[in-house]
Amino acid sequence: MSFDLALRLTEILLALAFIQQSAEHLAGAKDERILFLPRLVLSGLLLIGFYTPIICALLALHAVLMLHRFQGPYNGGSDRMGLLILFCVTLAHVLPTERWQELALGYLALQLLLSYFISGYVKIINPEWRNGRALNDVFSFSAYPASEALRGLANRPRILYAASWAVIGFELVFPLSFLTEGTLLAALFIAALFHLANAFLFGLNRFFWVWLASYPSILWLQDRLISF
Amino acid sequence: MIQTLKLILPALVPSWRFFDVIAPSPRIEIAVMRSEGSAPEDWREFCPRPLTLTLIQMLKRMIWNTRWNESLFLMSCAERLAKDDEAFARQEIFNRIKRKLNSDGFVQFRLTFHAREGRQIIKHIAYLSPLEPFGREAAL
Repeated sequence: MSFDLALRLTEILLALAFIQQSAEHLAGAKDERILFLPRLVLSGLLLIGFYTPIICALLALHAVLMLHRFQGPYNGGSDRMGLLILFCVTLAHVLPTERWQELALGYLALQLLLSYFISGYVKIINPEWRNGRALNDVFSFSAYPASEALRGLANRPRILYAASWAVIGFELVFPLSFLTEGTLLAALFIAALFHLANAFLFGLNRFFWVWLASYPSILWLQDRLISF
Repeated sequence: MIQTLKLILPALVPSWRFFDVIAPSPRIEIAVMRSEGSAPEDWREFCPRPLTLTLIQMLKRMIWNTRWNESLFLMSCAERLAKDDEAFARQEIFNRIKRKLNSDGFVQFRLTFHAREGRQIIKHIAYLSPLEPFGREAAL
């Protein structure tokens, strides 16, 4: 995948993720509608590729305003990933040389890879994750299950044990998928299914859309480094 | 400027420690009273999750999940309030509670944390808010 194509795909997917998030806020209080309407418009302009470097810079400025408004991210990890992608895309447009622009998109790809690997590492060093108890806790008392019926999964220890190791194993081996284009595509497909499952079970829909937006960067980096 | 950097840096250099530890989990409970002098009696969970979700509802939530995402934000506010007694977090919780109340009166909320102790799930009250007026009472 070429640099230009990866960058453009990232912009389109990020714009769609931002439109989805902003639209949700338009149903909120007046101050949120005032805050998110400009973001919705800017995201629409990013989607169609209208003066992209300027639009990216304005969205980045707006993201800082949002961080101040909510004294941090509104939706934790998904907002942080969105901000990371936005800053990397902005830098990939405004940095002066091709090498620096590639570094900006490469940094995003590296962070994507780390997002899976570190998540797997922090789980495997925790005995509660290794014996399935942590996932049991998620379903039995955490605030994440999207419905009360899903709490019933806490009574299925074998399934949760298998699911814990499936998640840990996948996250830890994800970096190895980088070695060939075929394995990377397969790993990204599985990763997308993982985010989809998290969206269904825990209501984390924003994670699904925003993580998808970072996938073109790693496909480009794999192509760039292997063909180098 | 330093405050802005503090807010941006965790996004630019993320820790990626998702679900490393399953910490005690907060719930927001509210009690509505007619007058300022009444004692809170009927505590109920604020914005409880639905009993069940169909596949169609889950698919719709991929695009439109306003209420749940607000609940996740309130959960982070609850954690911040219990940890540091942040005025911002308290006011955000109050504002969002009052927006969903139709009548007039006074409202109070409390934070309960659910955690596992041995084989049991226990619940303890970690924070009790002051009383705040809402509706016509707030305008007086």
